[in-house]
Amino acid sequence: MKLSAIFAAGLPFAMTAFAAEKSGHAAAELITGVTSYQAGKTVPVGIKLKIDVGWHSYWVNPGVGGMPLSAKWTLPEGWTAGELQAPVPKRFMTGDLPGFGYEGEAIYRVDLTPPAGATGDAELKVALSWLTCSGDACVPGDVELSVKLDAGDGAAAKDAAVLAEADKKIPKAVKESTATVAEKDGQVVMTFTLPGDLDIDGILAFPATPEVVDAGAPIVLKKSEEGWTASAPKNEYADGPAKAYDLVLSGGKLAQPVIVQWIGK
Amino acid sequence: MKQHTFLGAVLGAMICSSTAWAVEPGEAAPAFSVKNVKGEEVTLAAQKGKVVVLEWINYDCPFVKKHYGSGNIPKLQEKYTGKDVVWISVNSSAEGAQGYLAAADLAERSKKEGNKASQIVLDTDGTVGKAYDAKTTPHLFVIDKEGKVAYNGAIDSKNTTDVADIESADSYISLALDAVLEGKSVDKAKTPPYGCGVKYSK
Repeated sequence: MKLSAIFAAGLPFAMTAFAAEKSGHAAAELITGVTSYQAGKTVPVGIKLKIDVGWHSYWVNPGVGGMPLSAKWTLPEGWTAGELQAPVPKRFMTGDLPGFGYEGEAIYRVDLTPPAGATGDAELKVALSWLTCSGDACVPGDVELSVKLDAGDGAAAKDAAVLAEADKKIPKAVKESTATVAEKDGQVVMTFTLPGDLDIDGILAFPATPEVVDAGAPIVLKKSEEGWTASAPKNEYADGPAKAYDLVLSGGKLAQPVIVQWIGK
Repeated sequence: MKQHTFLGAVLGAMICSSTAWAVEPGEAAPAFSVKNVKGEEVTLAAQKGKVVVLEWINYDCPFVKKHYGSGNIPKLQEKYTGKDVVWISVNSSAEGAQGYLAAADLAERSKKEGNKASQIVLDTDGTVGKAYDAKTTPHLFVIDKEGKVAYNGAIDSKNTTDVADIESADSYISLALDAVLEGKSVDKAKTPPYGCGVKYSK
């Protein structure tokens, strides 16, 4: 039995701030944007990972080696967990291996939804596992966290602001964009459009789908007649032509990081 | 499919010379000569006519712990050495780096971990690891009886440190070895290895 779970069970208030739980070289904490839930209405949740200085953890595409964070929810009957949304990563090297992930702090977002007609206390539990590496070693982290919410008016919690801030680093799929992917001369080239006429200056691109492009090579963005192109060498472990490719763009004049999505036919 | 990958690799190597491409399935496996934990010389040339497995180890890496602690790798070693496969565990950790052990200590630790490989060898200067572009621990290669690389990649399909995932994962190494032993081509001949980076000298 983990400490936070004992606290959660024993505390008189439905919603409380919990201490982060440490494992390996990071500490994880569950935060919610509301003090109580309303039946059928989404509860915004954050998984805050605080990583020790000198260590890093990994994005959904970890690069070469490494391991993405996994979150397995145990929820009351009828509740559903949305997709785990990871913030924009940075690039780093672990020894000779290029990777994507986080140093310092990362807040993942997930939306949990109670069923229509849900009543009473709801215990929201998650089993997390992640990997932290330094240049010298890799150490996994495993914790179970839980938070209890009562049914109520769904008023904003003080962490709502933290989650709103965290949301600014979560890339959102751009529905208006069009994308095509072609492979030529060992390069994977995505041609895409974005709403508005943004310039490319300062925008960084990250491959969210593993094994499409080489993790160690920068993705080169260029203006083209059809919109933009994002080119990078093909990943050496790609199993044939790419079948899907999510490209994350962040920084520059983008108000919010975005995901340009392509699925092959 | 395989041809396409190969073509991509050649073009990629031509265009992006900074990218180190690993030995590709179908290519001749790089020759090597290293010392085992008893100080005896182990060469690839001496294994001619046999199927060979190269397995990169670092007992302090959580992914290696997953596959030794669960007994998964020792079971595979026992099963396939029983079918006349030469299984060579390679330690490429540099002196002072995580996982480095001097010969006698590596022998003792390997025994404790239940390692049942045919050979446990020291590659402290990383020569063999770099020739194969071994990236992670574990990282596995299968070399066929003709001395060609038949498999390069992960032990299985689940990139986690959780022992519970072993059973439900596709055991890429078993699939590759079974195919090679039956004289068939390996369906998934190259997969992304997962684990800790090999602790080469900096």
